[in-house]
This record gives sequence, C-alpha cells and structure tokens, in this order.
Amino acid sequence: MMGIGKTMAQGVSFEAKVSKRTLGLNERLRVDFIMNENGDDFTPPAFKGFRVVGGPNQSISNSWVNGKRSFSKTYTYFLTPTQKGALVITQASIDIDGEIYKTSPVRITVTEAVEVPRDPNSPEYLIDDNLHLVAEISNSQPYLNEAITVVYKLYFRNPLRISDGRAVENPQFADFWSHNINIPRLKVENGTYKGEAYNVVVWRKSVLYPQKTGKLSLEPLSLSLVIELPSNRRDFFGNRIVQQSSRTITAGRRTINVKPLPEKGKPANFFGAVGQFDFDALLNKKSLKATESFEIKLKVTGNGNLKLFNLPKLVLPNTLEVFEPEHSENVKTTLSGMKGNIQDNYTIVPRFQGKYPIAPVSFSYFDPKKEKYFTLRSSEQIVDVYGGPVVSSSSDKKSAMTNQLITNSDDSFRFIKLNSKLEPIVKKVFWDSKLFYLLLTSPFLLLIIFVLIIQRNLKISKDVEGSRLRLANRLSKRYLGEAKKNLKNKGRFYDALERALYNYLKARLKIKTDDFNKNKIAKFLDLRKLEKEEIQSFIALLENCEVARYSPATDVKMQQDFDQALSVISNIDKKL
Amino acid sequence: MNTVSKLFLMLILCLGTSAWGQEKNLDFENANSAYNTGQFERAVMLYKKILEEGQHSAELYFNLANSYYRLNQVGESIFYFEKAKQLSPNDQDIIVNSSFAQNMAIDAVELLPKPQITQLQEKIIDLLTQDGWAFLSVLLTWILVFFWGLYLWNNVPVFKRIFFVFTLVSGLLLIGSLSTAFIKSSKATKTTYGILFNKKVEVWAEPNKRAEVLFLLHEGTKVQMLDQLQEWQKIRIANGSEGWIKDGEVRSLKGFK
Repeated sequence: MMGIGKTMAQGVSFEAKVSKRTLGLNERLRVDFIMNENGDDFTPPAFKGFRVVGGPNQSISNSWVNGKRSFSKTYTYFLTPTQKGALVITQASIDIDGEIYKTSPVRITVTEAVEVPRDPNSPEYLIDDNLHLVAEISNSQPYLNEAITVVYKLYFRNPLRISDGRAVENPQFADFWSHNINIPRLKVENGTYKGEAYNVVVWRKSVLYPQKTGKLSLEPLSLSLVIELPSNRRDFFGNRIVQQSSRTITAGRRTINVKPLPEKGKPANFFGAVGQFDFDALLNKKSLKATESFEIKLKVTGNGNLKLFNLPKLVLPNTLEVFEPEHSENVKTTLSGMKGNIQDNYTIVPRFQGKYPIAPVSFSYFDPKKEKYFTLRSSEQIVDVYGGPVVSSSSDKKSAMTNQLITNSDDSFRFIKLNSKLEPIVKKVFWDSKLFYLLLTSPFLLLIIFVLIIQRNLKISKDVEGSRLRLANRLSKRYLGEAKKNLKNKGRFYDALERALYNYLKARLKIKTDDFNKNKIAKFLDLRKLEKEEIQSFIALLENCEVARYSPATDVKMQQDFDQALSVISNIDKKL
Repeated sequence: MNTVSKLFLMLILCLGTSAWGQEKNLDFENANSAYNTGQFERAVMLYKKILEEGQHSAELYFNLANSYYRLNQVGESIFYFEKAKQLSPNDQDIIVNSSFAQNMAIDAVELLPKPQITQLQEKIIDLLTQDGWAFLSVLLTWILVFFWGLYLWNNVPVFKRIFFVFTLVSGLLLIGSLSTAFIKSSKATKTTYGILFNKKVEVWAEPNKRAEVLFLLHEGTKVQMLDQLQEWQKIRIANGSEGWIKDGEVRSLKGFK
C-alpha cells in the first residue's frame, strides 16, 4: 500500500495511498497524497483513465505530543474509472522547502463492473476486504493413504479487530482418516496474504489420510466471528465509536483428487502400508526348553499410515502353541503425518522338542515419494527346543500325544543308521511274475498227476483177469518157487509140489496139525464153502503128485502139472 | 519231479540274491561319517549318489531324511522319511524322527478316525511286503498239496482225518494270504501318495480360477493324488478334504528319485 516518495531531506515523506488496488468499473477509488511537512505547489497526477468525482479535499493535522510535533497534510481525490484494464496513477509532486518531492506511481486493475457497487466505508466492505479465512492443503493430488495436511488460517488486518470467534461447523472428513492437531492457544502472528501484510491466526490443523480414490470433497470450516470496527461516528470525547458486528465466514470447500496406488509391481502381500518404513522380526530366545515360552515381535517403524494397516501374519509350524498376538502402537501424529512404530507380539509355547523354523515374514509398502513398492523380509530363524517329549507318528496322534507326555518323555532325535543292506531299486518283483503263478499252480498239477496214479492202481486191482494172474504169480513165487527150480528133476519136483500144496493149505487155512490126509483136506475145504469141483481138482492134484513120483513122466507133463497147481491154488485163494 | 526241484532251487536263489548284495558300500560309509561331522550337504550328495546308482534301503532313506532335517528342508525330509517307512513300516527310529520332521511342517492335518475294522485290515496287510505275501501263498500252496496228497494216499482212517483237517486249514490260510496279496497290490496301484513341495499353495474347489479357494496347504504335507486335468491335480488330504491345485509340485512316493 505504501508508495514511498523520494525523501531528500531527513524525515520528509510524501506518499500516495489508494483505498484498493482492484476495483470494478462501477466502483469508486479514493486516493490520498500524504506528506509530513507542509509544502506548496501541489501538482496532482493526470489520473488518466479515471474521472475525478470528488476532491481535492485538503486536510491538515498538527499535534504536539511531549514536545514533539507531528504534522500531516493530505490531499484526497475520489475517482471512478472510465475504462477496464491496468491503469497507472502517475506521480504527484510537491515543493517542500525548495525541494521537489514525487510519489511512486500506483498500479490499479479495473475489472468488470461488480453487481453491487460497494461503498468503501461501509462495514460490510471493510470486513470483506480485510478478513480472509484460508484453507491451505499440502497436496491436492495425494496417493491413497498418503498423508496430507489442511491448515485453516484466519487473516485480518487493520482497522478490524476480532474480539471473539468460534467454529460454527467443524468439518467432518468423511472418506478420510483424520487427526486434529491440538492448538493450545490461538496466537496472532504477522504474515502476508497475496503480498500484503496481515495478522494471521492458525485456527485449526488437521492431518488427513484419504481412504478412497477419486475426487473427494473436503467439507468447509465455518467460523462465527465478532468483529470490532471503527465507525464514522465519534463519541463525546471525540473518539471514534467502535461498532461490533458478527459475521460467519467459511472456507475450505475443496476437492481433492486421490490417486490410486499403482497396480504395476504391486506385491502380493501388500496390505496398504504407505510411507517409509523399516521392518523386523525379533526373537527373544533361540533355544529353550519345551513348555517354556518365547516371543516373536513383528515391528514396523517409520513414517506413514501406521495405524491404518495390519501387520503381516506369522506362519508357524503346527505343533507350536501360539497365542493371539498382542498389538501395541507407539505413534505420534504431527503435521508431517504419523510417526513411530507398531508391533505385534506373539507368545509361543512349544510343547514338543525339535527344531522349528520361523518362516521369513515379508512386509511390503508403497513409498509415495519414490512412487515405488518396497518389500522387506525378515530373515529365517530356527528355534531349537530341547528336553521335551516328541510328537509321535501321525497315526493315532491324540492318544500318542497324551501317552508320550508321561511315559516316553525323553525320546530324542535318533541318530542315523550305520549298517544297511542295499538292494537294487528296480528289483524283480516276485508277485505277479510268471514264476509266481508257475509255483502257485504246479503243486496242483502234481496233485492231479498223483491222483491219476492212485486211480490207475485202483483200476488195476479191480481188473479180475489181471488180478488172478498177479495172484498166481505171487503165490507161485511164495509156494511153488522150489518146485519151479526142480522142473528138470522129476522126483524132487513132485516132492516139492506136494509139500508146497500142503504148506499152502497150512498157511492159508491156519491148520496146525501135521497129519494131513485127503479126507481131512476135503472136509476143511468144504467147511470153507468151496465148490465140489475145486475140492476135487485139488485132491486130484495131490493124488497125481503121489502117482507121478513113481511113474514115468515127461517134461511136458511136469509143466502141465505145475500150471494146474498154480491155477488151482489161485482159484482156491480167491474163494478163501 | 525233476522240474519241481528245479523250481525250488530257483526260489531259493531268488531269496538268496538279496543276501548277496550285502557288501559294505563305501559311499554309504563316507556319507555316514560326513553326517557325523556335520557336513550334511556332502552326506546328502553321497546318499543320493547311491540312489542314482540304483540301490536303496530303508536305512539309506532314513539317513537321507535325517540329513535334510538337519539342513531344515522340510519337504525333502518328510519325503524321504515316508520312503523309509514304505520299506520298513514298523521301525521305531524312523517313526520317531519322522515325527520331528512333521513338527517342522506348517500344516496340521487332523486324521480322519478310521473304523477299527479298517485299522485291523491295514495292520494285517502291512504285516508282510507284497513279495512276502506272494512267497507265503506259494509256501501254503505246497503245504496244502502235500497234505492233500497224504490224505488221498493214506488208507488209515485216523491219519486220513488228521490230514484232511491239515488240508482244510492250509487251504483257508492260502485263500487268506492270496486275497491279502491281491488287495495289497490293487491298493498300491490305485492309490498314489505324494508330498507337497510348494511353499504355499491354494486348493480350489474346481480346476478353474472361477471357483473358490477352499484352503491353503504348505510344504511337507502328505496328499493322495487323484485325478489330473492339464496342469491341475486333484488331491485329498488325510482329513478327507479334497480339492484341486494348480502347478503343484507334488512328488509321488511311488517313484524312486
């Protein structure tokens, strides 16, 4: 606002002040040329593009305070623009004590006609012109879950004074995770707004994490303010009467375009962490006794939406008893976002001895600054558990578990076996082989052969003609053997034949007596129910033996008698 | 009779061959000492060399599994323990160490309770190996035929009666052992088990991605391999749940690798 003039002598100032720099075509502008020493020969500028509607009005004020004089002389013009565009109020000049002083040119922008021409002195106009509520948004195009901040600042300047203020409507940030940063005391500071000096009050600070993609609108903040502004009236003592007016002011209806996280290169285990993080899995024990407990901490440290994502789950062997993880957060929210660490604390109790691998856990996050995904992996660790029972084989697990707890409590990992019978892998399989079927069926074939042999024997024994022949053979071998040997010697032959016949009867009929005669024999044989003819032929044979001993007989006759004896014996034998 | 004695000779030879391959294997010895000094990678390498040479044994698989356990490779360890169990199902050392390896696995599959009859049946089937049942059947056949022959040949009623009873008993035993052998063989061909080697794999309701994910499985879980459709493999786990996995690394326990 200040156009500082050339100051040739010390303390002399000559300046041009305008009521506003931008105005509508149908509005008025007030220009003051102020000097602090009296001068003559004031030459106003040409006011090209303006029409002078009032003035020049001259006013002088002269006062002594504590012996110190302060002087001011003002020429005032009221102008109305005649054309649109950028206009310049050129230099005015004055002669003070023989020196020529000039003001700086002032640039004025003339816009389209405004609907309601405003009176620069009305309170409405003053408030509108000198009070601004501004929402400053750090990033209007954030990624999903990237922190943005909204700072509401209230700018005001003289002649306004704010005596009271309260929020009519606090914005509810739907679709955002929001955190309001507490401001303990409102403080008035110096600041600039659009290049001009203002007093600033930071009214509200919020950190927002967008939870949805697309165009999201921010609800505005409305403040109800009680404003004191000087009126034109003066009280009895000449002081200006301060007028109070209340005003509701709104700001911050903004649209934020939330970008989705890039799909390209998105890791499978991405759970929505956005920021800069560090990840670690910490084990408090590497080896322990069974039924003692150990802890695994999954910890994420860094900057980002710490409260808004889940930690990756720990994958553990089935035989470990795992309790629900204890979640703890140590997060501070500042204007730059959330900062700190979150952790999941798993308490694990191994019940059986053995080695338990803790599979590496990977944690992925998106860094909005580098616009890239990062994956951090914890290293694989192994917990060694000693001194407990072993889980037995998978079959009938339940009973084994309880059993082994008591009985078999120090079953440890067994050592390798030192002796082995190595066999060829591709072994000839006996089952289903030709040899197998051969060995399986061959005994039955043998059995069939065996049965056939037995049956043949039976058949032979049943054959009458054959059996007689065989019987005769046998009998002749037993009884007529001697007779057969002596076929050449007549006397001996018949002697042997007779003895054989007696012997046969003795053996067959079980007769113990030695005195055989023909009648006795006949009686015996009759008793055995032999037919008359057969008895007769036997007796005849005996008689023949006796006769033949003393009579000439040929070899042929002897052979005949031998054959007859054979047939008689075998006939009788069958009947007996 | 001559052919039969030849067959018997062959049988004895067959049984004998396994005893002949008992000479100490240098690689096996070296691997054992490597294991004992903590060089588990070297032990694994040597044990695998024996396997590649075409030889195996329950002890070899057991030692290999132990080495993998020491190297914290869950899947491999469980796989070779299972292989050891196949060859020697009732070895206590194998059962104990196998449970250590099971501890390391992430999935805990609750077993479906089996009816007692099935349990008994499985116990009986596992009493002998496939060839064991085959040999027993052959032996019983010979005993049966021997007694049958005696029964037919003998004429004394008391002996005949005794031999008849013997024949009957051995005949029943033969039927039993033969049917067990058949059941075991058909079971072995029908059901294939495998060990999962994927770190994590999703199990789907249908062999396409439009279906829903039923559950997750991790490395080291024993699954039964059912149907196959392109890159999808149908599996069943011990608690009876079934599903399809895609690009699953399931190593069949049937193969010897």
